[in-house]
Amino acid sequence: MTSITQASRSVIGLQKAFLAILMVVIAMFVFNQFDATRSEFFSQLNLINLAKDSSILLILAMGETFCLIAMGVDLSIGGMMALSGVVVLQLINAGVPIPVAIALVLLLGLLVGAINGYISVYQKAEPFIITLGMGIVLTGLGQQLTDAHPVTSAVPDFASLANFQLFGVVPVLVLVMFAVVGITFWVLRTTSFGRNVYAVGGDYEVAKYSGINVMRTKAATYLISSVLASLGGIMLASQLNSASSISGDAVPLYVVCAVVVGGTSVAGGIGGAIKSFIGLILLGVLTNAFNMLRIDSLVSYLPTLLLGVIIVSILWLDSYGRKRRREAI
Amino acid sequence: MSAATEPMRGRVSTHAAVTFLKNNPIFVAIAILAVITSIVEPKFRTTENLDNIIRQFGVLIFAALGMTFVIMAGFIDLSIGGIISLVAVVTVTQIDQVGQGPAILIGLGVGLACGLLNAILILTAGALTQAEALFITFGMSLVYGAVALMYTQGVTQFLTYSQSDISIFNAINSGSIGPLSVSAVMFLIALAILLTIERRTYMGRTVVLTGGNKVAARLAGIPISRSILMIYAISGLMSAIGAVVLASRVTLADPTMGTPWMTQAILAVVVGGTALVGGRGSVLWTVFGALLLILLNNCLNLLGFSSYIQFMLRGVILILAIWLDTAKQNAVSK
Repeated sequence: MTSITQASRSVIGLQKAFLAILMVVIAMFVFNQFDATRSEFFSQLNLINLAKDSSILLILAMGETFCLIAMGVDLSIGGMMALSGVVVLQLINAGVPIPVAIALVLLLGLLVGAINGYISVYQKAEPFIITLGMGIVLTGLGQQLTDAHPVTSAVPDFASLANFQLFGVVPVLVLVMFAVVGITFWVLRTTSFGRNVYAVGGDYEVAKYSGINVMRTKAATYLISSVLASLGGIMLASQLNSASSISGDAVPLYVVCAVVVGGTSVAGGIGGAIKSFIGLILLGVLTNAFNMLRIDSLVSYLPTLLLGVIIVSILWLDSYGRKRRREAI
Repeated sequence: MSAATEPMRGRVSTHAAVTFLKNNPIFVAIAILAVITSIVEPKFRTTENLDNIIRQFGVLIFAALGMTFVIMAGFIDLSIGGIISLVAVVTVTQIDQVGQGPAILIGLGVGLACGLLNAILILTAGALTQAEALFITFGMSLVYGAVALMYTQGVTQFLTYSQSDISIFNAINSGSIGPLSVSAVMFLIALAILLTIERRTYMGRTVVLTGGNKVAARLAGIPISRSILMIYAISGLMSAIGAVVLASRVTLADPTMGTPWMTQAILAVVVGGTALVGGRGSVLWTVFGALLLILLNNCLNLLGFSSYIQFMLRGVILILAIWLDTAKQNAVSK
């Protein structure tokens, strides 16, 4: 089995995903030359919105990258993100100082990550179902806390946290995102923990016999994923100055898909911060382009369908590639 | 474990009864729930509530019965939420076009086709692990849901607005055959057929063997591909039946109505005692798993818990059920 997992390579991969982004941009440029298909895709407002929307998801995607490389998966990030946004706003509205509220919510993320890690790593339960269940619990908790109504902040300082524009152009949110991507890149590339994550995902048994504390390494990826989901939720709440308990419903699948599109395999051992970055930007640009075009109402659900088809195709190719290699050996 | 399925014969000693209950804690749980609820809330014992329980049972049980085969074979089907939504909207919109009988047949056909499509994707991709099947069917759920949304433009289809005869739907909703309701008869027939397939046919046995050990099953010459086709076809078809029952009950079809049933069905199967890793289980156990879930929902409703807390508890039970199941597996393999 060693050679199979180590041999598995990315499906679409970095360069192809990058090319795909270029193709979308060129297509949008060509569309813009005709009156019928002219869109606001290249407007500054849209580009900043695209950057902001992608930033939140990118923060989550970095955590998911850790999990997927270590051959786990975290589907509770959507619920975690939504709950974090709700809780941070409620704490601030209750008069808790902003830094304390943020710290408390990050601690909540740490706690949820610890539970995920304990049950799915130390107790060896199927992480997909455990984290799916955890997502349901967190969403339900958020709904109970807010009675399923959106929460808005009464403190204006909190909103300026993500929206304050450095040099008048770059929102702080985007800087936070770049910091998270940079740290993820650094941890995965240069630290021994990063190496261990790849080793655990590549071949669990070999990693174990090499003296790596496999369980601790794998459980740590759930902690990272959960805390980053919390951070994403705080940033989202700050950006919108409001939070909804159901804002995370579609997020986990989208993020997993983006990470896999970038070239991280669901079979573990392969992936990286830059790959996930490109994968997520690709999906973000695609969705944004579809929304901008708005050809007519008949195809208003076409993006959802295409997203589903793309996800299934990528996963199919991922499995098929492994099958081919299995047969080749 | 076989004690759960064999009828008790002759005199049962206390010891045997205790062992039986120890191996099947689900009966204890069902009994405790029923007793607590009937003490705290006398409404629990009314015939209306009993009727209510049986009605809720109908929708969940069809999806869960189909899911049992998939999980027994060591796979999983996360697409049934999408299938239920799609089948419901297709069936309800087709009533005015082709009449109620053909509309139901078209709906069942769509469900079967979705199931077969899942199986073909899994087979062609060579996805032999549960994780791969998980991801692929999860993606397909999105596809089916999107097709349902595009088909209806996101608009809820009301059964009662249709111009044609909808007597079959009314019968499924409220009709009865003798002392039993129509949906209860449908459930008993489905259970009898599936139990026969599971216990008495070659294909049924191969499902359990595939789940036990795929490599060993393949080496023993068991046609794994055929059993994968069969389990997903059954799962799709049973979800489609569940969708028709659901649409009859709520008298409408919504392109997102199937979503909650995916977790519910998996829960019913796992709570019933079928191992998530495959190789051990029975459709009969799932019946009790579903009963426990319905009783719990009913109990929480009567005790006045908010729907959000119930939603949350569903997640908690899912986590606990999988955790305990895994602990049991680990204990067996040690």
